[in-house]
Amino acid sequence: MSEILQVKSITKKFGGLTAVNGVSFGVKEKEILSVIGPNGAGKSTLFKLISSFMKPSDGEVLFNGKRISNQAPHIVARKGVVRTFQETTIFKNMTVKQTVIVAHHLRSKANLWGYFVSTPNARNDEKHFGDSADEILEFLGLSSMANEQASNLPHGHLRALGIAMGLATNPKILLLDEPFAGMNHDETMKAVKMVRDLRKRGLTVLLVEHDMHAVMTISDRIVVLNFGTKIAEGTPEQIQKNPAVIEAYLGHEDKEIGL
Amino acid sequence: MKVKPHTESGLKTWVGLAALVLAMGLFYFGIPALIAQNPEVYSRYYTTLSGIALLSMASAGVWLTFYIGRINIGQGVFCLFGAYISGILVVNYGMNFWYSAIWAGVICSLLSFLIGLPILRLRGVYFAMVTLISTQVATLVVQNLAITKQGRSFALPPPAALTLPGTDIVVIPAFTLEGAAVGFYFAAITLMILTFLGLYRLVNSRIGQLCKSLQQNEELASSLGVNIVWLRLVAYAISCFVGGVAGAFYGAQQANLNVSLFTVQDSVNFLLYCFMGGLNYVVGPLIGTITLRLGWDQLSPTGEYQLAIYALALIILMFILPNGLMSLVEEGKKWFIRPNHRQKLQSMSAQKPVKTVAKSAAKKRPKTAAKTAPKSNKGRK
Amino acid sequence: MEQVIANGLFTGAQYALIALGLTLIFGLMNVLNFAHGQMFVLGALFAYTIFNHIVELGWFLGMTPWLANILTFMVALVATLVFLAFVGALFERFLFRTVIKRSSRDESTMLLAAATAFLLDALLPMKHVFGELSHSLPALIEGSFSIEQPWFSDTPFYMPYSKVFIGGLALFLIAGFMAFMQYTKPGRAMRALAQDKIAAQLMGVHVDRFTMLGFALGAMLAGGIGALIVTITNIGPTAGSSFSIKAFIMVMIGGAGVVGGAIAGGFVLGMMESIVPTLLAPYDLANLSDLIIFAALMIFLSFRPQGLMGKPWG
Repeated sequence: MSEILQVKSITKKFGGLTAVNGVSFGVKEKEILSVIGPNGAGKSTLFKLISSFMKPSDGEVLFNGKRISNQAPHIVARKGVVRTFQETTIFKNMTVKQTVIVAHHLRSKANLWGYFVSTPNARNDEKHFGDSADEILEFLGLSSMANEQASNLPHGHLRALGIAMGLATNPKILLLDEPFAGMNHDETMKAVKMVRDLRKRGLTVLLVEHDMHAVMTISDRIVVLNFGTKIAEGTPEQIQKNPAVIEAYLGHEDKEIGL
Repeated sequence: MKVKPHTESGLKTWVGLAALVLAMGLFYFGIPALIAQNPEVYSRYYTTLSGIALLSMASAGVWLTFYIGRINIGQGVFCLFGAYISGILVVNYGMNFWYSAIWAGVICSLLSFLIGLPILRLRGVYFAMVTLISTQVATLVVQNLAITKQGRSFALPPPAALTLPGTDIVVIPAFTLEGAAVGFYFAAITLMILTFLGLYRLVNSRIGQLCKSLQQNEELASSLGVNIVWLRLVAYAISCFVGGVAGAFYGAQQANLNVSLFTVQDSVNFLLYCFMGGLNYVVGPLIGTITLRLGWDQLSPTGEYQLAIYALALIILMFILPNGLMSLVEEGKKWFIRPNHRQKLQSMSAQKPVKTVAKSAAKKRPKTAAKTAPKSNKGRK
Repeated sequence: MEQVIANGLFTGAQYALIALGLTLIFGLMNVLNFAHGQMFVLGALFAYTIFNHIVELGWFLGMTPWLANILTFMVALVATLVFLAFVGALFERFLFRTVIKRSSRDESTMLLAAATAFLLDALLPMKHVFGELSHSLPALIEGSFSIEQPWFSDTPFYMPYSKVFIGGLALFLIAGFMAFMQYTKPGRAMRALAQDKIAAQLMGVHVDRFTMLGFALGAMLAGGIGALIVTITNIGPTAGSSFSIKAFIMVMIGGAGVVGGAIAGGFVLGMMESIVPTLLAPYDLANLSDLIIFAALMIFLSFRPQGLMGKPWG
């Protein structure tokens, strides 16, 4: 299996602070790779760097061997690298189905003028988007809420909506931003299954996550960050045994919970 | 929360079509017939109404920029430039007025690309302020150019006849001095109807949904592959095109251009028309412009109290209908919805609290619950 | 050169006061108060009227003219400050608060603000209010301060005493306002509100009360500066909107909602209005200076929307 996404010694500095420092790793096709790390380890920054919502100070991100850093987010999305947001980022005044239909933007064959005068292409698109949105909502268990305003959705469903939007763009690799945050055990297990199903659809998944337990069950490989640098990379078993990780992550975590 | 049964969209189409036919009948036949009853007294309404039609066009442009989430207090710039571009093309270059108006629109939208590229990155009050300043800049530009005669009186001839290119077939006859008011009336309402039909189509097509996605969250839209910079520019250029054409006709109708044709005050007024009409409806700017301009016009016998009464009326309207005149429709819908839909609405709103309770109960782990609770509050606001 | 800078500083101090009031209202309520310039005009004409009604009293008491003038003016100024604070409080309590609560969009307040601006524009020139004429007070103090041979220019430097007095008063008001915001409890409460309404509320800040106070203070500053300027130049009853636009520009230069920014913005615009025409005069382009200033500011704001001191996206 080849690496479809390569992160090459990427660095991001904010003034004097180095949030991400020379991080490198690769993502193989159809794998689920997680980036974890304690609070403030630079996960979110790394996430924004990969999805090109932020420009790196140094280093680069390659997708299928081509550089995607420094390009506008919508161009990166067009190439197939699509991120999701945390649940608060939604189109508040649209229904669930409308949201997913809008998210089909990258699949449109007609141009703006075509949509305005409603060419056959455009009508085709609209029909196709509607059907595909239904299918995606079905897949993520959102069908019953298709006509609900997005702002009225409960927690877990909002996250599913975020993933639905990502799926609608027909990505090659989907970047998930903390998909399990704030979920209880049952919800997490459902979400874990959902992410696995994504892979069955042929997607590569890269997720940034805080929840250790879910990450261990779901990931093929894990990259661990601490203070902006990569301290470990490997399978869940390897990571669990890695002393540096236990020191940096679990030790910290224990203190935080008060154990 | 809106519940849309499938039949409602069909009903909506029919209601819309009926309204369109009624409106066209009223504008093309009803009003001229009314005016013909007593031409000496009423014929001034031709000028008033064509002014309203043109201003409502410009407001439609402002409304479109609202639709992509920008408060535009700069439409006066493009109206003023449109009027002068058309005037200069007609007077200095001998162009036919009808072509010059189109050129005015085109040049305005080209200009909007130049201005829009930097300023459309701004949001909220920042965009509002920069566009407000731009109106002041436009005024000063007109005052300082020789070609605009320093913004002092710039006389325009009535529009010449428009013939089919290469033939002598007259499409639009030349305007005479006496007939110009009527001619402009029909030109203006035609333009207005075209503008609003175009806007309606735009908003109800996929482009409208994309614009709405921009309005609500640009970052998210761009993550879905929407070229937000381009879409913003296109929407703004359309808005400025409409403004330029409206300005060109407004200026020609006045037959005399000067710098106070469109000032900062007018830019603010366009905004008021949109607000007063209601920002959630395409016809909002039309309703707003008609109400406020016609109201203003009707108050003119009150002389020095005109502005005071107008302002008071505005304030009172703000109190009664803070979300615009079209919010009446929303209220109306609530009352006339068929009983079973009403029941459905009620049962859904009754469900809502249950849902939230279930949700907070679901957060068993105290740590994560505490972490996410304020976040979800914020998102829900 | 000294003349240009002194004039710039003088105008800057006045502008800073106008901008302070506007930025305060914006910071607290997110309201773009289009009626701010009208408040300024109201203050100016109110002070003018009061002054003319009571100045004879001083003469009657046998004071020397300049002392009578200054004392009367101080009385008029205080009366104006109180009156405008009252007007501002009324506006907030009975107009803005209601509309903000009822409307579904923040921007609706812009419509209300514009309507109140229209209302004042209509009321102020009425016969029984202030009339249509422009007014200005006579120079409070006769004479002027002058340097025959300044260091950096050939023309003599010249500054009327009354301008020095008014400039001093303006600086005093700015300093007073800053001290109020910095060191008093209501000042701290308002700063907290401007930063984060919900957090301030949780900390026990009475939002309604301090919002009203902020609006009153903003109107008071606008009126106070009106009273000061009416001693220097003619103010007409309909001059409000042009001052509103200038005030908006100053606020934007400094950064919306930032107190320090408003002061900086005021001084920057004041200085530019003084320096740019002087620089352009040799090329016979002085009448372009307004255009150049406005265009420059527009370009500046397009590339640095947060202004000199604001946070990005305020």
